[in-house]
Amino acid sequence: MPRVLIVDDHAVIRRGVQGILSTYPEWDLCGEADNGQDAIRLAGELAPEVVIMDVSMPGMNGLEATRIIHDVLPETKVLLLTLHSSSEFVRSAFRAGARGYVLKSDAENELVRALNVVIGEGTYVSPAIDARAAKESIFYNN
Amino acid sequence: MRILVADDHDIIRRGLKELLASRAGWEVCAEAKTGREAVTLAEQLRPDVVVMDISMPDLNGLEAARKIRKSLPKTEILILTLHFSDQLVREIVEAGVRAYIMKSDADRDLVAAVEALGNHRPFFTARAADMLLDGFVRPHAASPDPDAVIRNRLTSREREIVQLLAEGKSSKEVAVSLGISVKTAETHRANIMRKLELHSVSELVRYAVRNQIIEA
Repeated sequence: MPRVLIVDDHAVIRRGVQGILSTYPEWDLCGEADNGQDAIRLAGELAPEVVIMDVSMPGMNGLEATRIIHDVLPETKVLLLTLHSSSEFVRSAFRAGARGYVLKSDAENELVRALNVVIGEGTYVSPAIDARAAKESIFYNN
Repeated sequence: MRILVADDHDIIRRGLKELLASRAGWEVCAEAKTGREAVTLAEQLRPDVVVMDISMPDLNGLEAARKIRKSLPKTEILILTLHFSDQLVREIVEAGVRAYIMKSDADRDLVAAVEALGNHRPFFTARAADMLLDGFVRPHAASPDPDAVIRNRLTSREREIVQLLAEGKSSKEVAVSLGISVKTAETHRANIMRKLELHSVSELVRYAVRNQIIEA
């Protein structure tokens, strides 16, 4: 069963992700963190298959944490879950090693779809992101 | 206790439901994605408490709160926001909202606030209360002429139209959306621009973002 670590400074988002995953028994929420440093520490301890990561957090932000997790645990897929839809952010995310990019405004099933894609070694970008910018961001890295 | 949850984001609604579910005897009786849905569902279901985001499409939380309090004075309303606004806190209270909390503090404040509202007691954190008191100590500091303030205050209908225009709707679309004539919609639009001293749609959008009527 793939294990997921959720990282967000807002408890309401962590609870939301927990609620969504509880309806999909094939996913196991193994831990949660509310900042980048704890995310790195917990990812090291738990070696989850996927980290769902917020971008804007106090202290170390999600992009920096993504970069480090990607370096240290190349098998762990990082899926960003954020309010920011600008193509600049999408580019930075993939440059940092993220495998997926989902918006907090997306529907619930978008998050689950993204989890399934990244666990299957694919790359996922929210359909709400400008398609051309999304393609450029991914090609830039491959 | 029956609670209506309104937020345009699925994940946030889910999170709010999870936080509220920690209390036995509390039931989330319905969910809304826009302010207009919240008003309709509240009128149908008469919940004890409405937990509502301030920024929602179509009709924002503040306007929805005014409408709900008008038709259901016994229903208590909690407004959630990403950022506290000292400009809005007074309007929020005047709309009949009796709890105002930050989304980032929802795990600490939500249950306590809903519990207070369930007993028809208000809930304001120290910071929100400070801002509110400041607003009463220095009422309308920016405008020295109270008559002008009242004359230029937007009506409820005008505030609804500000949101629709800021969302990019034309006068015709506003008219269709609200079931009024195009001519009436245009008159409202002209009055809004005059009262707010705005000269273009882009200025109106900036006003709407600044006042959390729409999201940036």
